[in-house]
Formats: sequence, C-alpha cells, structure tokens
Amino acid sequence: MNPALPLALALAAALSAGGRLLLWQQSRGQDTSSLFTLVLGESRRAFADQMFLKADAYYHMGNYPSVFDLAQSDGKTHMAKERAGHDPHDHPQPPPPHRDWLEAFGSHFHPTGHRHLEAFRDGREILPWLRLAAELDPHRVDSYTVAAYWLREHLNRVTDAEAFLREGLRANPDSYEILFELGRLYAENNRDVSRARAVLELAINKWIRQEAAKPAPDTYSYRLILGQLATLEEQAGNLDRALAHFTRLKHFSPQPDAVQKRIDEVQEKMSGKK
Amino acid sequence: MEATVSIENLRVEYSSRDLGESTKVAVNGLTLRVGQGEVFGFLGPNGAGKTSTMNVLLGFVPPTSGTARIFGVDVREPIARQRIGYLPEQTYYYKFLTAEELLRFYAGIFGIPRPETEARIDAVLKLVELDHARKRQIKTYSKGMQQRVGLAQALINNPDLLILDEPTSGLDPIGRMKVREIIQRLKGEGKTVFFSSHELGEVETVCDRVAILHQGELKTEGRVSDLLKEHSANLEQIFLKLIGYPPLP
Amino acid sequence: MNTVWSLAKVVVLEMIRRKDFYVLFILTVLLTLTAASVNLFNDRSIVRYLKEICLLLIWLSALVIAITCTARQIPAEREHRTLFPLLAKPVTRGQFVLGKFLGCWLAVGLALAGFYLFFGLVSATREQHWPMLNYLQAAWLHWLMLGIVIAFTLLGSILFATPSSNGTICFACAAGILLLGRHLNKVALSLAEPLQSLLYTAYFILPHLEIFDVRELIIHDAGLIRWDMFALATLYAAAYTAFFLFAAWLAFRRRPLN
Repeated sequence: MNPALPLALALAAALSAGGRLLLWQQSRGQDTSSLFTLVLGESRRAFADQMFLKADAYYHMGNYPSVFDLAQSDGKTHMAKERAGHDPHDHPQPPPPHRDWLEAFGSHFHPTGHRHLEAFRDGREILPWLRLAAELDPHRVDSYTVAAYWLREHLNRVTDAEAFLREGLRANPDSYEILFELGRLYAENNRDVSRARAVLELAINKWIRQEAAKPAPDTYSYRLILGQLATLEEQAGNLDRALAHFTRLKHFSPQPDAVQKRIDEVQEKMSGKK
Repeated sequence: MEATVSIENLRVEYSSRDLGESTKVAVNGLTLRVGQGEVFGFLGPNGAGKTSTMNVLLGFVPPTSGTARIFGVDVREPIARQRIGYLPEQTYYYKFLTAEELLRFYAGIFGIPRPETEARIDAVLKLVELDHARKRQIKTYSKGMQQRVGLAQALINNPDLLILDEPTSGLDPIGRMKVREIIQRLKGEGKTVFFSSHELGEVETVCDRVAILHQGELKTEGRVSDLLKEHSANLEQIFLKLIGYPPLP
Repeated sequence: MNTVWSLAKVVVLEMIRRKDFYVLFILTVLLTLTAASVNLFNDRSIVRYLKEICLLLIWLSALVIAITCTARQIPAEREHRTLFPLLAKPVTRGQFVLGKFLGCWLAVGLALAGFYLFFGLVSATREQHWPMLNYLQAAWLHWLMLGIVIAFTLLGSILFATPSSNGTICFACAAGILLLGRHLNKVALSLAEPLQSLLYTAYFILPHLEIFDVRELIIHDAGLIRWDMFALATLYAAAYTAFFLFAAWLAFRRRPLN
C-alpha cells in the first residue's frame, strides 16, 4: 500500500474533526475569532490584568511593587491617571528602608526611585502592553481609555486614539467610560461640540441605565461625565444646559461648594447676557 | 627488575544494598606480577573479578585492602596513569568529534606538544587503518571502526603498558585479526599488554603468560606453554577444569 | 590547566555541533521579529516592549541551554562509557569536574554573545544608540548567573540518576529563585517562628540569582550599575560557583565508577 494513503486519510480525518469542533464551538456561542481565546480560554483575562499592570510598571520605569510588597493597597493603578493626570500624592509613603544587607545590595541591580515615563517623553512605551491587554480581554475597558488618554494627551495622535476607542466601543457597546473618553476627545481635541455632546449624553444615559439602580453606583464616572458635559455646554454658550448639568453634578459631588462656585459663575454669565 | 604491574593481596568489596546483601567480595587476596614487554592474558568467567581488578589498576575503584602499583607507583596517584593506554569494552566515543579531534583531545590531556601530537595522530591512525576516515565524525563509523578508534586513543601517548578489556568483543573475524596483529606489533615494540578476553584461542595465540580467575580468586598463573605442557590439554580445557566445569566427554 | 582546557574544548565543540543552540536562537529571532512586525498605533519608535520580549527569550533560552548542556555531561560520559578511557588517563576527578564546568560555561558564554549581539542590533535599529557598557554589564552578570546554575546542575548530575530529573529540578530551582528569591525575606517576616527563622536562613543561604537579572535596567535605560557593586556581584557569583563546584568534586571524588 502506498504510505501516502494512510497519511492523507489521517489528515482528512483530522481536518474534518477540527472543522466539526469549530462549528460545535460556534454553535455554543463561544468566541473563536481570537487566537488568544482559543489558546488561553478564560485565563486570558488574568493575563490581560498582568499586561495592564505591566503597562503601569513601564509608566514607573520598571520600579514597581510586587505582590509581596503589598504597596498597592488601593488596588488601583495610576498610570497616566487617565482622567486627571498623575497625582504625586498617590505615593504618600517614602520607600521602606532595606530590611537586610542582601536587599540593600540587590537594590543596585533593579530600578529604584520613583520616576515616570512622561518626564522622559517616553509615554508611547506603555502602549504595547495596553494593546495586548485589550487583545487578551476586549471587555477590559481601562485598556482602551488609558491608551486613548496617552495617545491624544501626550503623543498628539488623536486619530489613533479615536480609532482605538471605537474598537473598544465595538467590543463594549454599553461602556459609559469609553463614551466619556470619546466625548473628551471630540470636545478637547476635535472641538466638535455636537458630536461631543451626543456622545457624552449617550454616556450619561448608559450610566443611568447600568448604575443608577445599584446600591453603590460608580458616581465617580458619573461626576466626570457630568462635569465634562457641563463645561462643554458652558464653553459652547448653552448656559442653561450647563447650569442643569452643574446642578446635577452638585448633588453627587464630594465637594458641592466648588461646584456651587461654578454654578454661581454660570448664573452670573446668564444674568450678564440678559 | 621492577614489574610493570604488581598487585599484592588485593581485596575489592562492593556494598550492594540493592541486592539486599551487605557486601560482595569481587576480588579476594589477588597477587600478580606482569613484567615489562609481556603480553598478559587475564581470564575468567563473567563475575570472576577481572573487571574489578582492572578498575583498581585504572583508579576507578579504590581497593578495600592490599596494594596495586603500575611502574612502581600506587594506582591511586593520577601520575601512575601517565604511561598507560586503556581500551574499555564497548565504548561509544564522542560521536560529534572526528577521529583526529578525538585523538587531539586525548593528546591534550597527556600534555603532548602540538607537533608531536600531529605526528602521533598520523602514526596511530595508520596503525589502526583509520587514516582514510580521520576527518569523518565518529557517528558515521562502523562498530569495528569505533573499536579501532578506541585502540588509537589508547595508543596516543605511546604507552608502555596497554590495558585492554575485551578488545575483540563484538568484532567480525577480520576485525579480530586486525586487533591481534596490532597487539603482536606492540609486543614487538617492547610494550606490555595486559588484556582480558573470553576468546581463549586468541589468548593462546597472542599471550606469553595468563592468569585464570574464578570467584575473585586466582586459580592459576603462568606461561601459556608451561600450562599446556603441565595439563596436557588446550587452554580452553584447562580453563573449564579450573573453574570446576565438568570436563567434556 | 592543559587537561581542564582540553576537556572544556570538547564541551564547546559539542554545543557548536548540536542543534539545541541554533533552534533556540532561531526561535528567539523569529519571535522577536514577529513582535517587531506588529503594528502598534503606527508608531515604529516603540522599543521597550521589544527589548523586554527579546531579553525574556534570551534568558529562557540561555537557561535551557545551560541546564540541558550541563545536565547531560556526566551521565552521557557514563552511558557512552567515555568516562573510563578518560579517567584512565592522568586526569583527576577535580580536573574532570572543572573541565566540564569550564566547557559548559564557555559554551553558554558563546551562545550569550550571539544572543546579546542580536539584542543589540534589535534595539539599535529602533533607538539609534548602542549603550555598549550597559549591555556588557548585563551580559557579564547574566553569564555569571549561568555560572552558578551550571555549577549546581553539575552537582545535580552527580547526585541524581537521570539527566531529565536533574534538568527539571535545576530548572525549577533556578526559576523559583529568579522569581521569588528577592521576596523570601518579606514572606519570612510575615510568618510565625520557627518558620520565620528557617525561611530567613534559607534566604541568606540561597544563591540570589535574581541579583544578576538586570533586564529592567536595560529596558528602561536606567544607566550603569555602580562598578563597586558590579565587582561585588562578580565576587558573589564566584563564591557560589566555587562552593557548588567544590561540592560536586566532593560528591564525585569517592564515587566508584563501575
């Protein structure tokens, strides 16, 4: 018998079995489009988290606490502080003294000292990890918003930021965070007030639908969206709309006095107009 | 005259815990002398203690008691091995080296100067008839060729004593004949050859003297011609008789 | 020294003629180039992720080459019976152990030179600069670390029966120290006595391989390591390497060969 025959038969059997398995997987609604999903399954989410932390470690030029250091007590990364820039008070504790001579000796061989990428104009270096985090877990919203922040704020690449946010929006159509970031981009970079308004209002609607009824809603995001929208309307001269948004914002803000100040300013402008 | 090999009251014990025994005596009270220029056959059935004795001579195993000397030097001293050549049974030399490289490596160990090394390599490769394959990697060699490259490495330092462990084992008749010829040639050059073999006919042809070992003890030792005369039998018959095997009808 | 050098040369030749290094080198090149070809927001100047991936592959490959090459040395000599004609020559067991170590270390050093040259080329194409001294420091420390690994793998090859079990144990130990070594003291402090003292003792006894891992410094262009600390790290590695080689010699010295 020709030895090629059993080989060809085995190949045909393997291909048809593979095809059947793929169809079966698709029929069960599993995402087979991504290589990561096929290879890593659900563990890709854990890897995505690691990639996101890697980006944060890059932001800190490699000097990053390990799980053993337990320094990240708030459990949050602060790379880029995507909404308000990096706050130096995020690191209130001075680095602990070395526990022993070995630790002191070892500290010469890895990055120490608190430095940030932006000071070295190397912000782009965190992007690959955020891209990978998004590839691994397309439903991890932070990856899109942080990357977009860096792209438009530090690298002046608004088109790329918008494209990435839209990619995120396709994977997470209900994400008010991505809509907020997109709204900021239209407002601050593109100066497209009508699109910015549409997107931010949509973000508010999404937030209300998802969060309002929760016992502990994400009011931080809501405040940001409201604040952005109010400022947008104020700058566009729609003072009555701005007043309405600021009034709502005051209700949720931890600093109502500061918001009241803005309300007073808007009201002053309104009275001046009249 | 000092003996090339002298063994005095040698005892070798192994602890064989795996077998459930405390110790196993491999060699017991062996005393032996091999003179310069002799071809000495070391005979015995499997497990007789031949390899253990050789292992002591080569420094692989420390003697439990007794002494072993080569050229008057205790075998535990590495310098005792400066003037010996050893061919182990069934060795698969570094297959990624060529014969030339293998011999250069062993010559380096003896600290032979470079020009002399090249001359020695030429000479031994010619002697073992591997000159044509000197630049081929050993992995391409036949079994016979591997055995001959083993003989070549044993001769690289132009040794005064050659220790050969079953040098013809696994070889075809032509291979055996070639090894025999080489031993005869070395004897002609005044070298001492100490070798173990199961091929009694071969031993009878090549050796000046033989020792027969059984269960770790020396059964007989002497010139081949004297033994044949004394027992009025061939070496195979003498061997079988000494190890207690029923004589053939 | 002649004997040690002769033994070492054979090990180097073995590595050159075996496929292990080439396979791992080609794999490293392919994976790095694949990573380099990924379009990241149309920005071709992003380089640190590429340096990280390339260095990670180099570290993994070098560790695999060092452990597999070393773990098979003595068992192969036994299995092929080449140990017998070798030790039947004026070679002491100490010279044998030292020759094997030197050969493996030099072979791995050659492999590292190739790997770091490739790494330098990759980063130079994107960064347009070549911090030679930083790379030399990193490669030297990496090589020293592999010296310790080779020495303890050699010891393992005398103590453990098969090269595969020795290889697995050594790989797990090296990886474990690289990943956790730096944090053992913190873990120890969180434990109750007597575990705390035990773990803290282990922390001081274990060779801290992670000290030699300066990838983060290279990736983030953190500047040169202080030369006095660099010299101290060299001494630290030399001390551990010597310790493991001495232990290997002790274990091999009285071992019957039959």
